[in-house]
Amino acid sequence: MKVTFFALTVFFLVSCQTTKKVEPAPPYLDGILFDPKLDADTFALCDGDEFTIQYFNNSKGLEYEGGKPAIVEAFEKNYVLPKGRTNSGLIRIRFVVNCKGEAGRFRLIGMDEAYQEQAFPKEITDQLLSITKSLKGWQPKVLRGQTRDYYQYLIFKIKNGAIIKILP
Amino acid sequence: MRSMLYLIFLLPVLGYSQPNCNVFLWEGDTLKYKACQFAEEHARDYYQFDMRQVKLWEEAIAICPRFAFPYREIAAPYVKSGNFIEWKKYIDKAVELAPMDYLSVRASLRYKFFADYQGTLADIALLEELMQGNDIGPTSNGTYHLNTVKGLCLKALGEPEQAIEVMERQLNKENHFISVYDYLHLGVLYLEEGAADKAIELLLKQEAENDLAENRYYIALAYQQLNKEEAYRENIQKALDLYQAGDRMKDSYNELFDQIYLTDIEREMERIK
Repeated sequence: MKVTFFALTVFFLVSCQTTKKVEPAPPYLDGILFDPKLDADTFALCDGDEFTIQYFNNSKGLEYEGGKPAIVEAFEKNYVLPKGRTNSGLIRIRFVVNCKGEAGRFRLIGMDEAYQEQAFPKEITDQLLSITKSLKGWQPKVLRGQTRDYYQYLIFKIKNGAIIKILP
Repeated sequence: MRSMLYLIFLLPVLGYSQPNCNVFLWEGDTLKYKACQFAEEHARDYYQFDMRQVKLWEEAIAICPRFAFPYREIAAPYVKSGNFIEWKKYIDKAVELAPMDYLSVRASLRYKFFADYQGTLADIALLEELMQGNDIGPTSNGTYHLNTVKGLCLKALGEPEQAIEVMERQLNKENHFISVYDYLHLGVLYLEEGAADKAIELLLKQEAENDLAENRYYIALAYQQLNKEEAYRENIQKALDLYQAGDRMKDSYNELFDQIYLTDIEREMERIK
């Protein structure tokens, strides 16, 4: 009896440890939940998914050390125009900046010039992702006196493989 | 002062603009009336990014799929998250159902959020056709008249002369409300075309309306073109002061046309050291 009770207790404890917590559906439109296949374990939100604000919520728009020119400069310096590429359209990389100014959970979508979904070649998207991930100047956002996690995006306007504009 | 009046005038436009449901009742469209009433009742239940609010808009669409308003309301958070694909699906549907109400909204957003200058010009052309010579009105957030946006898009597409013509025509209209950056944009256009005197004339008007770091910066560059070193220095210093005081072009969502950064002023300050 004692052995059975002990076995059941061990089974229960092990089950509790290995049972994966099921994430609720994203509470926000275009929300980005942690995906172990895509996201680094080292990146963590400070306040949990439901409290992540949008980059414009504090009316200060994009907040980056050195402003937008520093972001543009990073891409001008590091993006290499792929040879023979004729792809045009927009690429959006959306991500989360936590309350410490660290960025993670990067997601990418692309469209052609008629707003139709389009997969751009990896020579373009890999570079954009890699340079975006290397940006370290994101400023924590303060809303009503509290430092918050927030969603940010960068949109790249691409013409024949070249970046012709970065938004917002 | 005129800018302030303009903003006060536009407050109802900038805020929440729910359609008047009774219009549908008068038209005998009871289904649209029902959907409109539902939308009115639930318009503020949740934050616009909350999926529960999106579900409510979908319920309004289910009541009457011909009712444009909820499509636009779903499009709104998508444009703010930069999701061009989903935004376009919903705003296109709103425009299809109510072009008079939503063409100006689509025109206002595609250049601002997605640098789609040709798309904005195409929408403005459609709107002009619909309005049959009547005023096409302001952008959806009230910052500009749509003809000013037309000028800015022409400039972005490398047509500065046409841009100047369109913006001048709008500014000279008797009933035109001067918006916060009108003179600045036109002044910069003249400056870029090498007409420094004309640029200064407009930028001084901007100074009188709404003095910003940007107009002082461009005034300085205009004086530089005219080899007026002292005036150049004075205005660069003033640009720095205004920038540091927070008196500069601002937008919660996007970078604006002709917006400058501290690095732009600092570069000029280095040159005059």
